[in-house]
Amino acid sequence: MKTMLEARDAVVRRGPREVLHGVSLALRQGEAVALVGPNAAGKSTLVRTLAGLLSPERGQVLLEGRAVRAWDRDARARTVALVTPDEDAPPALTVEDRVALGRYPHRGPFRSLTHEDRQAIESALAVTGIEGLARRALETLSAGERQLAALARGLAQQPRVLLLDEPGAHLDVGHQLGLFRVLDQARAGGVAVLAVVHDLQRAAAWAGRMVLLHEGRVTAEGPPGAVLTSPEAARAFRVSVRAHVLPGAAHPLYSFEEP
Amino acid sequence: MTEPRRRRIAFAVLAAALPLCLCLGAAAGSVALPPLSVLSSLAARLGLPDFSPLSEAGHAILWTVRLPRVLLAALVGGGLAVVGAALQSVFRNPMADSGLLGVGSGAAFGAVLAVKLGWGQTFLALPIAAFAGAMAAVLAVYLLAHAAGRPSLHGLLLTGLAVAALAGAGTSVLLVATEEFRVRTVLFWLAGGLDGRSWTHLQLGGGLILAGAALLLALARPLDVLSLGTDEAAALGLPVHLTRLTLLAVSSLVAGAATSVAGSVPFVGLVAPHALRPLVGPLARHLLPAAFLAGAVLVVLADIAARTLSAQMDLPLGALTAFVGAPYFLVALRTSEGRS
Repeated sequence: MKTMLEARDAVVRRGPREVLHGVSLALRQGEAVALVGPNAAGKSTLVRTLAGLLSPERGQVLLEGRAVRAWDRDARARTVALVTPDEDAPPALTVEDRVALGRYPHRGPFRSLTHEDRQAIESALAVTGIEGLARRALETLSAGERQLAALARGLAQQPRVLLLDEPGAHLDVGHQLGLFRVLDQARAGGVAVLAVVHDLQRAAAWAGRMVLLHEGRVTAEGPPGAVLTSPEAARAFRVSVRAHVLPGAAHPLYSFEEP
Repeated sequence: MTEPRRRRIAFAVLAAALPLCLCLGAAAGSVALPPLSVLSSLAARLGLPDFSPLSEAGHAILWTVRLPRVLLAALVGGGLAVVGAALQSVFRNPMADSGLLGVGSGAAFGAVLAVKLGWGQTFLALPIAAFAGAMAAVLAVYLLAHAAGRPSLHGLLLTGLAVAALAGAGTSVLLVATEEFRVRTVLFWLAGGLDGRSWTHLQLGGGLILAGAALLLALARPLDVLSLGTDEAAALGLPVHLTRLTLLAVSSLVAGAATSVAGSVPFVGLVAPHALRPLVGPLARHLLPAAFLAGAVLVVLADIAARTLSAQMDLPLGALTAFVGAPYFLVALRTSEGRS
């Protein structure tokens, strides 16, 4: 499969602090990658760097083989969508208008909505299951519903790479399953999906590959089961991890204990 | 009621209210002109029959005094309201207005300096000095905020407050050092008002306000994207820094022009967008024009009150907008606190 987005030895500084000390990571077409790691490991910084919002001080970030910062902004935003947990959108904005802003890289400042734009918006609302909330203001929604609206905005961009920072943080278990099903659909459609996931159980069940980030370095990478039970994961999270294979369950269950 | 319907009604009411208020504003004053004759005189100018002619004196009052004044009131109000709405999106703070950029305090400093130097009675000296002061303050905010690289919104806001405080201090010092008879001129300017404004004021200030407001409206969609927050806007391909600077620069020009011709007219930039947002929604392509119309209506009405409430003198326009704006704000705050 084609490599869509790649970091090569990326060193990223935020203010005076070096957050990423040479991170390499490749994201291929149609792949689902879970980025895991303890708090302050640099996960959000890595996701923003991959999205082209932060420049690496050394090393490179390549989107389809070309430096992501060298891309035309609109073309980049048509290719990579970033969904973050920040809730900065104006509270009175309706869900539909928020999702429609996802078409900005396609429309620019002046072009009005085309049939294709409308279809992308409607499909994003339908896939995330929030068509019924389309006319509601964001301030009238639950935190979880707002997260789905943010995801729908990302889908409306019709990207080939979808980067998500903590997409399931405020969702109950039913909505979480729904969200990861949506991400799976996108992946099956050829989109490369990378998500920061705190819920390791969920991450292992969803992802094809897991990347463990610890203190600004990738310390383990591979099939989720192998990464979670690695000594690197135990060191990063300061827990001991055991996998339990239950009869009939699709995925092993993991238990975590303080050592 | 659905949002599109609410929006249509709000626009219809505002679009009907503005010409009505303009006509009322042209008719009212120490010498009242019949509103019908005002319309008739306007019709005659357009080549239509003058169905209810004004007296010669009435005609002179309408065309040399009232019309420039009332049109300027509309443009000042509209301009300040549009700038308020735009800045509230840029700073993502409903309390933002042009004061944050140092416009008002810079303009006041410029005006006081001009008066101190004895230019108070020179035609257009006050507005030009006020405009220069406003632009100097904005430039100072920009340069100081950028002294240590690209500033955050927070950094920009605090720099604006610091520059405004400095300009305010400078104004106080100058006022104390100015001869008493000159202080009176500048006090009238500081209190805000449109007394004696001419077609020249309208051409200079109004042109800038209209052009700037049109530019802000053209940038409505980037403004909406920007209101989603820095990261999201950048991820959607918006050149965040450049867009923000452009919006701030245009806003400063419009607010500077409005303040230099009318003096301080507080609260319009806060109240008009705040009142219209629940009716037309937060999208800039709706909110900006609605706020413009509402701000125009508000200041035209305030100016009518300024001219007619007291038989002895013009009341200060800035005081009247504050008299309306401040209580409105308190009530709105009470309601929104009660809701949340």
